[in-house]
Amino acid sequence: MPKLWIDERYCKGCLICVEVCPTSAIASSDRINARGYVIPVEKDMSICKVCGLCELMCPDFAIAIEETDFK
Amino acid sequence: MLKYLKEEGLMGPRLPLLLCPGCGHGQVLNYTLHAVDRIIKEDKMAKEKLLFISGVGCSSRLTSHYLNFDSGWTIHGRALAVATGALLANPEFRVVVFSGDGDMASIGGNHFIHACRRNMDLTIVCMNNGLYGMTGGQQAPTSPRDMITTTTPYGNPEEAFDLCKMAEVAGANFVARWTTAHPHQVVKTIVKGIRKKGTAFIEILSQCPVHRKANPADMLETFKKMTVPWAKAKEEDKDKIPIGEFCDHDKPDWNASYEKILDQYKS
Repeated sequence: MPKLWIDERYCKGCLICVEVCPTSAIASSDRINARGYVIPVEKDMSICKVCGLCELMCPDFAIAIEETDFK
Repeated sequence: MLKYLKEEGLMGPRLPLLLCPGCGHGQVLNYTLHAVDRIIKEDKMAKEKLLFISGVGCSSRLTSHYLNFDSGWTIHGRALAVATGALLANPEFRVVVFSGDGDMASIGGNHFIHACRRNMDLTIVCMNNGLYGMTGGQQAPTSPRDMITTTTPYGNPEEAFDLCKMAEVAGANFVARWTTAHPHQVVKTIVKGIRKKGTAFIEILSQCPVHRKANPADMLETFKKMTVPWAKAKEEDKDKIPIGEFCDHDKPDWNASYEKILDQYKS
């Protein structure tokens, strides 16, 4: 299963990652970080295709995705 | 990738970025770092050969404040003039100019025309959000007709400035336009632009969710709807914005022409 990192200190809650994810593996949550922004959480990483769009399109360098098991 | 960027590309302790939530300029910085990373790895280019120059504005804060490369934060609108000087002093530099639309089209318009005309070996990344973001969302030369801004509350009566056509007519070697909703195309184009000899002008339409009062993700959807690749544009698409790579010439750049003249008078 791919591993997702979300850096809560950098995230500003624009939720572009949630919108661009083609498989809806990320979702918005009720959690609020120290700066008062709603941060996204991983919903179901087993359906993630590791396309890397969330990492590429994040304006604040707050999200990273890594393939852990190579087949 | 993020680990690499934090260790090599970005000044870690200076993050988070100063930009507003959902700003397209952060995305353009992300795409540029991916492109630069690809260039460094594939071409085995030394990191010291890259030079980032920027002027004043939201977009111009990116290079000097957050990048771990050689960079210059110069006066408003004169980023291209400083980049030209840096290139004349050391033709080995691969200079990337970060600029916004206010910096490039309005106050630095003349520098922009003449840098393209001289065909200096620059890569110009122009982030166009159609207004002056840092000063409060006023009307810019690149604002489209009928757009509501703080200085045109009933709609903009003027026509927008088409920077790509201007760069092409002024004589740039490589001209392209994309939006922040086209990530892979932008990365590919910036890689091509940095490798290209001569002026490579890349305009990237970027969103300003604070002054346009919209959701950033919705603005990305709008970008996809309001643009069309220029090669596939049909009759009914004439109201849409053409995107893509508009021209790709191989004219000699300024340094090559100057070397040629110098060689005639050597010996």
